[in-house]
Amino acid sequence: MAAPDAVPGAARAPLPGPVDEPVPPRRGSRSWTKLRSNPVALLGAALVLFFVLVAALAPVLPVADPTATDWLAVRKAPSAAHWFGTDEIGRDVLARMIWGAQASLLAGVVSVGIAVAIGVPLGMMAGYWGGWTDAAISRVTEALLAVPFLILAIALAAFLGPSLTNAMIAIGLSAMPIFIRLARGQTLSVMTEDYVEGARAIGLGHGAIIGRYVLPNIFPPILVQATLTIATAIIAEASLSFLGLGQQPPAPSWGSMLNVAKNFLEQAPWMALWPGIAIFLVVLGFNLLGDGLRDALDPREL
Amino acid sequence: MHAEHPRLLSVDGLSVRFRHHPANIVDDVSFTIGAGETLCIVGESGCGKSLTALALMGLLPKPAAQVAAGRAVFEGEDLVALDESRMSDIRGNRMAMIFQEPMTSLNPAFTVGDQIAEAVRRHRGVDRAAARGRAREMLEQARIPAAEKRLDEYPHQLSGGMRQRAMIAMALANDPALLIADEPTTALDVTIQAQVLRLIRQLQAERGTGLLMITHDLGVVAETADRVAVMYAGRIVEEGPVAAIFDDPQHPYTIGLMGSVPSLGRRSGRLETIPGLVPTPEAMPRGCRFSTRCPFAAAVCAETPALTEIAPGHRVACARAPIELRVAEDAA
Repeated sequence: MAAPDAVPGAARAPLPGPVDEPVPPRRGSRSWTKLRSNPVALLGAALVLFFVLVAALAPVLPVADPTATDWLAVRKAPSAAHWFGTDEIGRDVLARMIWGAQASLLAGVVSVGIAVAIGVPLGMMAGYWGGWTDAAISRVTEALLAVPFLILAIALAAFLGPSLTNAMIAIGLSAMPIFIRLARGQTLSVMTEDYVEGARAIGLGHGAIIGRYVLPNIFPPILVQATLTIATAIIAEASLSFLGLGQQPPAPSWGSMLNVAKNFLEQAPWMALWPGIAIFLVVLGFNLLGDGLRDALDPREL
Repeated sequence: MHAEHPRLLSVDGLSVRFRHHPANIVDDVSFTIGAGETLCIVGESGCGKSLTALALMGLLPKPAAQVAAGRAVFEGEDLVALDESRMSDIRGNRMAMIFQEPMTSLNPAFTVGDQIAEAVRRHRGVDRAAARGRAREMLEQARIPAAEKRLDEYPHQLSGGMRQRAMIAMALANDPALLIADEPTTALDVTIQAQVLRLIRQLQAERGTGLLMITHDLGVVAETADRVAVMYAGRIVEEGPVAAIFDDPQHPYTIGLMGSVPSLGRRSGRLETIPGLVPTPEAMPRGCRFSTRCPFAAAVCAETPALTEIAPGHRVACARAPIELRVAEDAA
């Protein structure tokens, strides 16, 4: 490395020419304006917000104890006393739905957060550096992808021990290979764009190129994949809970409620109906919101 | 080298090699550029002119392509030998590049103003407001109307000509001593081409920037160049002042190139073409690489001809130059 000061270009010369007139500051976010004018995305946001609020407010809402059993009110249909009915050991389904929202939303969002936080950087590294980095990351990813998603999650959850936290880690790690693959492929395609070469030509380093040129341009498909994966993760948490590897009874989650309810579909269909509707609505909400975010964040769409 | 231009860049024996290819794709290329001077490298697609530019910028697609030999001394430093971090301090700062495709050379995810400001912040370490002010100033200098409004627009909201102006603004934002323009007008339509060329020339003259213009368009050469280097199959075959190259081309390839330009006047007969195709790297002939297509080829062409000065500042790599004399000798 040459001594930087010996060379004219190295010194950080002051800006040539005076900057006398003040420049108006950067205009505000156009994405937010675009999102607000998209009614479908707002519906999605409203759905997600509703369930998040319900989950967050569970401790203060005036509902019954979700774990209190009542042997005199087993599998009662919806009524004034129990708006959503009761389950097979007389617990209030409404209370269990509200408390279960916490576990289900956490499982969906946190596990996808884990998958994105680990998978996207790894995928970008593989796509950006290529060579041995890519070979190592890609081979491991393919090995993980060879194992079915749920089997992998079950194996990891069993290895980590049964708890909601471990279930979220297990689901997140199982969903991670999808994000590695997606981020790698998108990075490879962005790397062939002239603007990446342009970024190098203005002297930007690898960090700036990855952070400001690659990441924003691979973000929209990752966002859409993430919203879809939240749905998968909520259902995976249900499966793990059913196997006793997720939310531990008697604490409720929508998935575990659904799994119990399937034994009583004829006698007590409401037990399956409410968690099913809730999962459907929350997944719909995330998908609509994700689509809207993708459109809002894409500068090419007006 | 002209006396009025202090030497800015001198390239000496630059060779670029691709892995698994027998012949150098850029072979023993030497030229100099003075401050404020314009050198045009002309040649057809695949002759190595763009690779020469990328090699100078340190942007060769490594590890597939490597500089195999040579030096390129720029402001006292050999660009070929510099490490990556020093190189990226020079890129966009002392030496900048404009690319061929304005439509795809800007990051679609950020506004034009942010991208120019980023180039400034990278090399000047100024705060956001100052960088933004510089970006506006540069857009104004690039004759972009409503520069302040354009700062906050995304590349897709600009036309091709506007984008190329924005690219020029970005490249010149740090007042580079050398600007490399790789076919900057090829993707633009003809009226915009003329405007963009005029803009580059004006800004260059105002700042005394050295310009290395890569093109296959002889019209661009005639309009911008002080000196011309003609490349064929990776080598410079002829180099000299623009008037000498156009009025008195000496290399058979240059002669053929000049003959293949359509003119506005009445034309007699078909447009001239050069017979045959550019040899592939695998089938590169020994000695003069043009010999297989050359109507004047002789036994002596099996040896690599050196660039020889035949008139002040006018050098040609042809064993048979000056052609008229040799042809007359053959006939006698």
